[in-house]
Amino acid sequence: MTAMLYDIRLQLHYEYDAPVQGGRHLVRVRPGAIANLQRVVAASLSFDPPPDQSSNFKDFFGNDVSTIAYSNAHEHLDVKLVARVMIEEPARPANLSPTLAVLQTEITELWSLAPDSPHHFLAASRRIPLDPEIAAYARPIMASHTSIFAKTMALCNAIHADFAYDSNATDVETTPAEAFALKKGVCQDFSQVMISGLRSLGIPAGYVSGFLRTNPPPGKPRLEGADAMHAWVRAWCGRAAGWIEFDPTNAMLAGPDHITIGHGRDYADIAPIVGVLKTTGSQETSQSVDVLRLE
Amino acid sequence: MTHWDQSSLGARFERADQYLRDAGVFYRKYDGAEGKERAWPLAHIPLLIDEVEWAKISNGLIERAELLETVVADIYGDNKLVQRGLLPPELVARNREFLRPMMGIKPADGHFLHFCAFELGRGPNGDWWVLGDRTQAPSGAGFALENRVATTRALSDVYAGMNVHRLAGFFRGFRDSLFAEARKDGGRVGILTPGQHNETYFEHAYIARYLGFMLLEGEDLTIDNGQVMVRTVAGLKPVSVLWRRMDASFVDPLELRSDSRIGTPGMVDALRNGSISMINALGTGILETRALAAFMPRLAKALLDRPLALPEIATWWCGQPTERDYVIDNFDNLMIGPAFSTSLPFDDQRGTALGATISPEHRAGLIERIQAQGFDYVGQEPVQLSTAPVYVDGKLQPRPVTLRVYAARTETGWTVMPGGFARVGSTLDTAAIAMQRGGQAADVWVVSSTPVEPISLLPKDGDKLVRSMPGNLPSRAADNLIWLGRYAERCEAIVRILRAYNARLAELSNPDLPILQHCRDYLTSIDVDADEPLPAGLLATIDSAVQSASQIRDRFSPDGWLALNDLQKSTRRLAERVRPGDDATRAMTVILRKLAGFSGLVHENMYRFVGWRFLELGRRLERGIQIARITGWLTDLDAPDGSLEMLLEIGDSVMTHRRRYSVSAGALSAVDLLVLDPLNPRSVLFQLAELGRQIEKLPGGNYNGQLSPAAKAALQLRTELVIADPEDMRPERLETLANDIGALAGLVASAYFA
Repeated sequence: MTAMLYDIRLQLHYEYDAPVQGGRHLVRVRPGAIANLQRVVAASLSFDPPPDQSSNFKDFFGNDVSTIAYSNAHEHLDVKLVARVMIEEPARPANLSPTLAVLQTEITELWSLAPDSPHHFLAASRRIPLDPEIAAYARPIMASHTSIFAKTMALCNAIHADFAYDSNATDVETTPAEAFALKKGVCQDFSQVMISGLRSLGIPAGYVSGFLRTNPPPGKPRLEGADAMHAWVRAWCGRAAGWIEFDPTNAMLAGPDHITIGHGRDYADIAPIVGVLKTTGSQETSQSVDVLRLE
Repeated sequence: MTHWDQSSLGARFERADQYLRDAGVFYRKYDGAEGKERAWPLAHIPLLIDEVEWAKISNGLIERAELLETVVADIYGDNKLVQRGLLPPELVARNREFLRPMMGIKPADGHFLHFCAFELGRGPNGDWWVLGDRTQAPSGAGFALENRVATTRALSDVYAGMNVHRLAGFFRGFRDSLFAEARKDGGRVGILTPGQHNETYFEHAYIARYLGFMLLEGEDLTIDNGQVMVRTVAGLKPVSVLWRRMDASFVDPLELRSDSRIGTPGMVDALRNGSISMINALGTGILETRALAAFMPRLAKALLDRPLALPEIATWWCGQPTERDYVIDNFDNLMIGPAFSTSLPFDDQRGTALGATISPEHRAGLIERIQAQGFDYVGQEPVQLSTAPVYVDGKLQPRPVTLRVYAARTETGWTVMPGGFARVGSTLDTAAIAMQRGGQAADVWVVSSTPVEPISLLPKDGDKLVRSMPGNLPSRAADNLIWLGRYAERCEAIVRILRAYNARLAELSNPDLPILQHCRDYLTSIDVDADEPLPAGLLATIDSAVQSASQIRDRFSPDGWLALNDLQKSTRRLAERVRPGDDATRAMTVILRKLAGFSGLVHENMYRFVGWRFLELGRRLERGIQIARITGWLTDLDAPDGSLEMLLEIGDSVMTHRRRYSVSAGALSAVDLLVLDPLNPRSVLFQLAELGRQIEKLPGGNYNGQLSPAAKAALQLRTELVIADPEDMRPERLETLANDIGALAGLVASAYFA
């Protein structure tokens, strides 16, 4: 088991058409610590212009949130994150995941509302309705496998095979149903389609936001989505196996190249920035991400 | 009551209805896209309940409120109830009313619930049942008060002789406890309303006025360093207690529903900081979940070690195998409905039905869904309601009733309103109780065997006199007051011009004459089409005045509101039949009188404080602009014959002009009188003098002799007119003057409404 050390730089840039009179935002980009998996050596978040008010809290799912508020007019907003994060390569357990019937019994017997309780991840959520067409697509793919892990991996691989990675086809507002009809999109679309399919079949599934290592190890291909913020899926594979993370954009399990920012039921729970602006104009967005492995 | 004959009963009940109309009691009925205000449907005969029976109800509800508080505190706190197996996690996790952002946030004053309503039904055997707990933002307490006043108008002699418990003490206790909570940190108490389009907005305005709270909308508030502040004309002022009348998920678009247009960004953060008490806490709506009723007996046993004195309807949640099988086995005899619904069983026509009434084709599909997704369904025992006599079509007839009762937390614990209101079905069918479907509301009299003490909210002898603090006028309300003043004045200007126009049209009977053409052109420039006998442009201006007024119902008297509504209705009626010329002239005189009636009621009855000043500013601004413009138009060198006479008539200055300028009447004398005369209440200079005086009295208007920008601008304009001669006031100059007064309105807006 090796530990990987990464330096992460993220810049989000928002340019407004007309000066914005004031605004309040929630920012969720700071990676959090995860026991036995991820350690945050240092992280610093800065804003330009500097906000008039700011505070931090942890949300229901345990994500770090910064609240920033502006009372004066401004024409742009820059969010800059610099972080050093250490990732332990997770030990790959033997496949302990049960059948669907056993999984359902295990869920019923779990009397918990803790943030990582599978109960939160079964119902439709704001951004991920249970779409009958996605369910019809997922059902036969998963039917030929027995264990929850195998079923989920099969759906992960199928989405990767059937969907084209195309960053011009969709945007952050694209619904899972729209992305499914297009069979195109980016990590957010792939993940939300997969989550919709899993939940339709009764498998608890959540959304993971994070980063990918920018440059691949020698001899390996560069992963899709490495130049932007990334997203993938976690599925609850029973009491013994717990949460396992799948990356449908790259048809793989999340591994030492995946750095986690946080968790939610869908994009809305862990969007890098949400805000209410006093403006009628539109805005331009750009982001840049660098994730360098320190040797 | 049996000894009264029908005509005397009819007359009595008409007195009650008249009271409600005069008081402007309305609720908004949703039918299609546009909600309309309907008269409040009062069933005139009160429901009588003996105080001994009432004591049982009252104690049962207090016990229930306390249990509900424990449950909701646990859901948003330690989650022991789920861990102990008393509450299924699915019921919480799948619930839309479970607001995850509120998890772990402790209410500032320690309590989640402060004001609850309970819907009760009485079975044929006389036992009371709880049909639903209303913990989100219960409505109707204000209507209960109005029901009481109206009913006692009809039955004053009976009421006086019957020892009926008064309602005022309940409101006084709750008001005092909210003010006491607010005093701890010196902030204000507000009622948070979704606004005038809400079904019960009338009630929000009514309670705000009755209890002396500010009536606030989400946009009136802002979060400043974690503290909730209200934007007032005197700047940001702290708010300590919000009695919310909107559903929790709309309160903060940042952390709750992002599509909410009526919330305040950052409100959840303020709650996290403990800087505000929310009545009730956000998230308490989860207690209204229908399926929760299935677990209340178990929760009562575990937490109180006894069954509740006032139990709920027997309920089976299909998320558990045994209960699911029971519901399917007894399908025909149960009400089948959505588990996560928060509406009362008989209010929910779409989703809930008695199993036996479900058609065979739907039945199979429904049972299949219950098998697959049991957690979405409940079965409930059908409600059999006992009846009460209701006066229908001239005689008393039995109708099913339910009772809505209110409980409030005070500094000494829960209190229950001795009364409430009864909902009465429009037919014998229990489902016809919903007021949206023709049901009615009756007053509830709790009758004592001994005399009761009369109570009023007015201070008693010996009470300390407390003056409410200044800076309580929200900017939005001030903005609406200015516009109300402006629209009312604009109506008057339009009506005066139309009257002068139509009078000449009748007299000259040739619409092509230059003076009429000149007048039409002017009206066109202000979006009024003179060819219409009662132009749409005038109706629209009246509608705008009503629109502005409807957003500040708590700020002026019901009489003023009714006068404005009467103006709107009468004008619409006139519009259907008025013909140009003489007929229209008379119609304009009628409208003018009604406008004067409205202005009189408002101006003579409004306390001369900040709110009145804004209304006055609106009136003066608009009058200044209108007079300057019409004077320019009618004193133009090209203005046709008859223009001066028309101007003086529009400016209501014919007689004064004759008296003062009998020898040298002409364009200059008209300008002198209508623009530069400081004593003519219709002159532009008079408006500017009044504007300057009021603007200086606004917060920050004149700080030890230093004038605000708006006050400076008003002084400058006034001074220019004081030193001007009539010859200077050419039409171009008057047009500039009108624009400068418009700019003055902009300065006021940016100083007080930004």
